[in-house]
Amino acid sequence: MGRASAKDSSPSSSSSSSSPSLVDNSKHKNHPRTSLSFASSVCRYSSCNSGGSSSTRAGRTRRGDLNTDLRLGLSIVSPDAQKDNWIGPPVSKQREQRQDWPPIKSLLRTTLAVAGKADANVHNVHNNDNSDRTRTSLFVKVYMEGVPIGRKLDLLTLHNYDDLISTLAHMFTTSITCPNGDRADHAKSLHVLTYEDREGDWMMVGDVPWEMFMTTVKRLKITRADRC
Amino acid sequence: MAYSFPEEVLEHVFSFIGSDRDRNAVSLVCKSWYEIERWCRRRVFVGNCYAVSPAAVVRRFPEVRSVELKGKPHFADFNLVPEGWGGYVSPWITTLARAYPWLEEIRLKRMVVTDESLELIARSFKNFKVLVLSSCEGFSTDGLAAVAANCRNLRELDLRESEVEDMSGHWLSHFPDSYTSLVSLNISCLGSEVSFSALERLVSRCPDLRSLRLNRTVPLDRLANLLRRAPQLAELGTGVYSAELRSDDFSNLVGALAGCRELRSLSGFWDVVPAYLPAVYPLCSGLTSLNLSYATIQSSELTKLISQCHSLQRLWVLDYIEDSGLEALAACCKDLRELRVFPSEPFNREGNVSLTEQGLVSVSEGCSKLQSVLYFCRQMSNAALLTIARNRPNMTRFRLCIIEPRCPDYITHEPLDTGFGAIVQHCKDLQRLSLSGLLTDRVFEYIGTYAKKLEMLSVAFAGDSDLGLHHVLSGCDSLRKLEIRDCPFGDKALLANAAKLETMRSLWMSSCSVSFGACKLLGQKMPRLNVEVIDERGHPDSRPESCPVEKLYIYRTVAGPRFDMPDFVWTMDEDSALRPS
Repeated sequence: MGRASAKDSSPSSSSSSSSPSLVDNSKHKNHPRTSLSFASSVCRYSSCNSGGSSSTRAGRTRRGDLNTDLRLGLSIVSPDAQKDNWIGPPVSKQREQRQDWPPIKSLLRTTLAVAGKADANVHNVHNNDNSDRTRTSLFVKVYMEGVPIGRKLDLLTLHNYDDLISTLAHMFTTSITCPNGDRADHAKSLHVLTYEDREGDWMMVGDVPWEMFMTTVKRLKITRADRC
Repeated sequence: MAYSFPEEVLEHVFSFIGSDRDRNAVSLVCKSWYEIERWCRRRVFVGNCYAVSPAAVVRRFPEVRSVELKGKPHFADFNLVPEGWGGYVSPWITTLARAYPWLEEIRLKRMVVTDESLELIARSFKNFKVLVLSSCEGFSTDGLAAVAANCRNLRELDLRESEVEDMSGHWLSHFPDSYTSLVSLNISCLGSEVSFSALERLVSRCPDLRSLRLNRTVPLDRLANLLRRAPQLAELGTGVYSAELRSDDFSNLVGALAGCRELRSLSGFWDVVPAYLPAVYPLCSGLTSLNLSYATIQSSELTKLISQCHSLQRLWVLDYIEDSGLEALAACCKDLRELRVFPSEPFNREGNVSLTEQGLVSVSEGCSKLQSVLYFCRQMSNAALLTIARNRPNMTRFRLCIIEPRCPDYITHEPLDTGFGAIVQHCKDLQRLSLSGLLTDRVFEYIGTYAKKLEMLSVAFAGDSDLGLHHVLSGCDSLRKLEIRDCPFGDKALLANAAKLETMRSLWMSSCSVSFGACKLLGQKMPRLNVEVIDERGHPDSRPESCPVEKLYIYRTVAGPRFDMPDFVWTMDEDSALRPS
């Protein structure tokens, strides 16, 4: 919240409302929008309504303001974004992309989110740097056998199976068999990783390419190695 | 009364009048026509489920066979309407079940539907034929199982874009073996697998099946067998369009597709592997509708496909098609009526593909029948808009979304007022318009002056002052739906045009400058409007009256305030201005 207010306090900022990356998502009922919109609305619109010749201001200064706004937004995003974005409860605001802009429906939105990640390597598309790309999330539940409380993990923050294994091993403080590893190592690890696929079947993680895995995984389970 | 026809004759004449508007006009002629008409009206469309009570509908029209209802405001599609707002169909189904035992069709859009309601539908209507749930939510496959099991005469089951809780893929098996009347099935929104063997058996025994839209989990290697059982299909939505196909699988697929000689519409294509696209090439010349919204493939493949579709009337595609693909479209598809181009990377500021305003200009030049456009892009110019407007004065739906809010003309850096002004000036029959880019009050002046047939307007991040809103409300004679977000519109224009709101279906304003005080005043002045304040920051009384509300939804109604609101929605009623804050 504090970051956004800093932007709003500039009296000459004529851009109404807020740029995409900084506005709260009102969809999330449990995160009531506090004073942000109230303060920003009052200070912006009261000055806007009084002016009649705001069109010339709009033509030149707005674009500049917008650049500043978004640069501010992005520079705040990058340092923190990659660090602790999936551990714990819903991520900090700047890590999520806007849920309400641009105006596309949720089915397309989620399809593109998964496809965008999956095609990152396959596609010959202009690749932006990663902090821009993965502004969506693909949370799956993770349970460890014997532990009733599960965790949630955003698969879009990971790039391959090694990432996944090491992240989970850290999260659950255990050792997990690496899917690409020697079967002989199997005996050393306490756990193996399995997942439930789209068809409802439980499969060993690691057999299919990472991108295909991402499109079919529904949830993860860390099971005891001696059970497999 | 010597010159008035007997009732039966009038009824027979009225039976040729289908459109709701004409029917409404007929009912206003005189009392006897009103009476006759209401007994023979068979179809009712309620554009806002809160505009009238179910009891009032069944009281006036006792012999209805088809009901269509819409619930949440359009912006709910983009997550602007908080969950729990409303749009519950349950009270409607209860009333309809009691009043219309012969009801055949129910079509719902953006409503909350429960399994109980689906079960009630399944039990109550012996001749039930059509169920369309468009962008609905709140139900599961259990409800679908009830419909499958009980609706012996079901023709159409269409779940387009609904959110369905998947309890089990076996709901499809609940269609009894004796059931053979399926004509249209759309399950493309379902997340998990349906029982494939049940699907195959169902398709085999329904000879009238014309439209089949599968969901993503239906594997490509089983598609051929399915198609061989339904060569009469006119519309097909594939499942996932990738697999490890052996060469005979592939030729099997080609043969099966080619066998569907009536196929006119294709969709699906999730995860499409370009190598398998040629399987549909034999169908291209007959295709009139192609939905490639989920086909994440490059321009060259898209172009190869589209260039063969000479009869194409509707194309939905991702911006991977690029300007070059759209040029090919313009050259090859002279019958095109509708184009939608969606953004492949909507959350990137920078473009990832070479799609600009030029693509749309090309299509507007080459496709003389183009009427309906939805176009996402990253740059636009007034010059391009002017060209498009001049090329296509027959445009009726024009929705442009420049992804960056408040983006000016990229050549002149001016607002896009004159460009959109040209659109409304040249396209005299324009019914629907969505604006984007940098826009001042001037664009609204153009809209108010020229857009006399405009029925729906969507505005985001635009305008400078109340004057903008005033132009629209005072000038657009045909306006029915207005939705606005993030614009500096406040109290003045709204209060000055209060009467206009009763001539419209609804007005949505979010992240604007309408104060709570003005909402109360409006609610007090206009008893036939429901003025709903939606605010998740707590009761508006806890803030000054001058404080803008988060969201505002105003709609005309003869049913009075509703009582199913969540704790973040308040209806401003006649007493609200008198109640102490």
